[in-house]
Amino acid sequence: MKKLNIKTGLQGLVLLILSITLFNCSVDKYKESTDETVNATEYLKLNEEEYSMFLELLEVTGYASFLNTYGTYTLFLPTNDAVESYLNTAGVSSPADLPIEDLQDLVKLHILESKVITTDFNDGKIATPTMQGQYLVTGASNQGGSSSIIVNKESRIVSSNIEVGNGIIHVIDKVLPIAKLSLAQQVETQESLSIFTSALKATGWYDILDKPVTYDQDSISSHLSLIAQTNEAFERAGFSSYEELEERYSHLGQPTNPEDSLNLYVAYRILPGLKYVADLVNSPTHSTEAPQEVIGIKLAQDSVLINEQTFDGVLEKGVLLNRDQSDVTTTNGVLHLVKNNFDIKKRFPTPVYFDPGDQPEIRRLASVFRIPGQSASFAKEDLQFVDWEGDDEIMYRVDTPGGGTYGHGYWADVMQIKRLRDGYVNNIEFTTPVIIKGRYKIWVSYRAAPNASPNVQVFFNDEELSRQLNFTEYGNTTQPERVLESQGYKIPVSPQTNRFNSRLLGIVEVETTGRHKIRFNAVTNAGQETWIDVIEFRPIEMDQIYPRFSPTGLVEQ
Amino acid sequence: MKIRILTILIFVFTCFSCDEYLDLRPPNGTVRQDFWKTKEDVQAAVIGIYSEMVGNASFTERLFMYGELRGDMVIPGQNASDNQIFLNTTNILPTNALTEWSMFYRTINFCNTVIDLAPAVLNEDPTLEEEQLENYLSEALAIRAYLYLTLAKTFKDVPLKLEATLNDTDNFQLPTTPQEEVFRQVAEDLSLAEEYAVEEYETIPENKGRITKYAINAMQTEVFLWLNDFDNALIAANKIIDSGNFELIPASNSWFGTVYGEGNSSESIFELQYSNQNLNSFINVFFQRAEYRASAVAVSDVFGIDQQNPENQDIRGERVSIVSSGAEIYKFIGLNRDQRKTTTTSDTHWFFYRYADVLLMKAEALNELNRGEEAIAIIEEIRTLREALELTAQTPAANDPSSIAEYILAERSRELAFEGKRWFDVLRFARRDNYARLDLILTMALSSAPPSQQQSIRNKLQDPNSHYLPINQNELFTNKQLVQNPFYN
Repeated sequence: MKKLNIKTGLQGLVLLILSITLFNCSVDKYKESTDETVNATEYLKLNEEEYSMFLELLEVTGYASFLNTYGTYTLFLPTNDAVESYLNTAGVSSPADLPIEDLQDLVKLHILESKVITTDFNDGKIATPTMQGQYLVTGASNQGGSSSIIVNKESRIVSSNIEVGNGIIHVIDKVLPIAKLSLAQQVETQESLSIFTSALKATGWYDILDKPVTYDQDSISSHLSLIAQTNEAFERAGFSSYEELEERYSHLGQPTNPEDSLNLYVAYRILPGLKYVADLVNSPTHSTEAPQEVIGIKLAQDSVLINEQTFDGVLEKGVLLNRDQSDVTTTNGVLHLVKNNFDIKKRFPTPVYFDPGDQPEIRRLASVFRIPGQSASFAKEDLQFVDWEGDDEIMYRVDTPGGGTYGHGYWADVMQIKRLRDGYVNNIEFTTPVIIKGRYKIWVSYRAAPNASPNVQVFFNDEELSRQLNFTEYGNTTQPERVLESQGYKIPVSPQTNRFNSRLLGIVEVETTGRHKIRFNAVTNAGQETWIDVIEFRPIEMDQIYPRFSPTGLVEQ
Repeated sequence: MKIRILTILIFVFTCFSCDEYLDLRPPNGTVRQDFWKTKEDVQAAVIGIYSEMVGNASFTERLFMYGELRGDMVIPGQNASDNQIFLNTTNILPTNALTEWSMFYRTINFCNTVIDLAPAVLNEDPTLEEEQLENYLSEALAIRAYLYLTLAKTFKDVPLKLEATLNDTDNFQLPTTPQEEVFRQVAEDLSLAEEYAVEEYETIPENKGRITKYAINAMQTEVFLWLNDFDNALIAANKIIDSGNFELIPASNSWFGTVYGEGNSSESIFELQYSNQNLNSFINVFFQRAEYRASAVAVSDVFGIDQQNPENQDIRGERVSIVSSGAEIYKFIGLNRDQRKTTTTSDTHWFFYRYADVLLMKAEALNELNRGEEAIAIIEEIRTLREALELTAQTPAANDPSSIAEYILAERSRELAFEGKRWFDVLRFARRDNYARLDLILTMALSSAPPSQQQSIRNKLQDPNSHYLPINQNELFTNKQLVQNPFYN
């Protein structure tokens, strides 16, 4: 009896288990996707109350589907209000009333083919062009106390960095305008630029500034940047009409001739490449269409100055860029305005005695710079105008003037490279002070040392100079100095000592006035410090020995 | 037979086994019901607040970043993260991890726990005296006040949680409280804390490392300055000055070592006590893998350079605040003026308040109360003792509060260089009288902004909302009551 009970109990249990396992689990539903982030077009559909108009544009132009494919896009998305006010301005009630090509261009101007978030923005163009081809310019502006990021100077970003499956969306409150005018046309349409327009036309630059953008075989674009000036600025410089300008500058009487000064005057205001103000301030010099002429750019607080530099100890005042009216995008470039007239700086070659220890960061160390017995070490990132391979530091050292190890040199200081060789510090490159264009002999003066680097190639603007440098070679004080000079040697210091030697490395043609690069590359080993005193650029027609260097400056003995 | 065995088994299980097996209390910790019984428990909880601040290496670094990275004296070093760089260039998104405030709220909760639960211990432990309890409460109240002060300075409006979060049923969905109200709460807490606080502990490290009445007065001075309540700021500052417990140590070669290298000097009011058991990461972030460097302004302008006589130096400059070659921030890594500390000895304290800070805050209050002459006298007193250079001297007229304010700010940048104060100082001066001196912030930004971004930075900073950090995205996800600062939408 008992046994039977257990059996029925068991059967019941089996039944129970069966019923649980068979009938229980069938309705479970699993999520099959791993990510529910929608793509751009889908995002617009989900938020139709705000973005239906742009969605309509996408659909009309046929771009809705590709913006829903996987990829990395950035979409500048105008709100409904923005699109409506754009249509109102265009005088139509529905997108269908506009030519399809215009709409396509417009939509493509709002899309970049890479992901760009707002932290990548600066004061200038976004590095990637739009699909339309034109670049977008970013910035920030303050209206009524609240600031926001703006695109193309007018559209405020109202909601930024919305992550969607195929990129990023920034919502803007105004449709981005397409630039329709070329640089030439843009200048011409402005009444206040009439004198400048006449000059452009007379010199033939008008046509060049009117050409559409092309790309060469290296896909470098033909964008140009133009620095124009208003009639008012001309007037301040004493030109009340174009004729007066031509009178003053056109020395050949043929403005179209590239050698005519008026032509050069205009060419000097045209910079190759698409350079917004933010690009201008990133480099101290920019080449121009005037052959071998550069303009200098200096940033003083937030003012941008053209051609302000200290030359031969004299400060030459620069010309202010009109920042508010600059950065005008055109189809083939960007237009800037300058507040005053400026000229090509006409200069004749002057010697440059470049003391590599004279770096702004070292000068700042008043207790070290040219103070006897002091020294300081610098890592690569400490010195903005010196760069090298290797992680080791270089040292600035000052000795007792006229004594010690290197106290006989120029200002008694040297730049010390502990080992100028591969694996330590090599390929050390200095940015020179401003050198005026012309032909120069390059001399390098150094403190000789028996185990310093014996074979050093020297490159000027990446071109190797004809001679190599041997830092172990001592000076020769017995030979007559002119004989030595003819062999490419001299004693650079006064009073003379054989510890210091100078080697003529070659003659270079400096093609643009500006700062250049000189690089030292050791090709063999070194077992000792290398000490560089002065890098000399002497115009070829100048005396190559005098003045000499002394611990207190230049001397004629 | 079987039944008997079964019975025995059941008996055994029920009687001996389940005691621990079914116990829900954690075997390796203490639960609240067992804690908060004796005065030792209260003490442990209070000390725990300090250890939380010392133990979390990024706590002081965060204070440094909030106060300095947005100012003009620090630039990101080569090992700086993108987030740090973005903080420096006013390019901040709500996704920036440096806007996470959880570490502050964690410590706040420790304080709240003490404030909520310690009073009940009076009934449990008869040896806990009322006064002793009040002392402990003052520490928790003051630290909580300091943290809220920091949060409100950094984020503007923040959630104000004043009760302990003890279990999961607590409401975490708190809206933000306006900045002004947070400041007022801070002032209120501090005045209670002051009533409860001790003037002195038994040892110097305790005097400088734990909350005393004077540390509270220093906090009061600051919060009243933020509230533009200059009379009360002056009263609070004077309490410290009149106590006679603090002094400025005369300049000497060992001044740096005494004040910064060693810490707990007579110039100090409240410091976070790092020690050889509790090292910090300063040597790492300022030197070995430098995340921060001194800006060009800090190297060449702030302390000035005497070109004629380089030996003539402001004692707060070279080899104290900075090492100009390499633009190194030296204050937190030097043992003395010649030697740096090492990774295993990096224990320089974090200086919440020093005496000179209070003196300059007093000058600020005096100036705002149109007592310019007295304000200038304080600046000059400090400058003389610190051997400041002629070059950095300014000569504002006694009736020209605006120029005196600039002088105070400049002197603060020398005296408190890199101590996490710069941005907040400039912000505090700028926002007064409805942002009458917004130019201070704009000029500061221009001096250190990267050339290609300075226009954007300048325009962004014209919006006062941009002076505060955004609420981190994660906080917005978890707390639906929070509303983002409109600048960051």
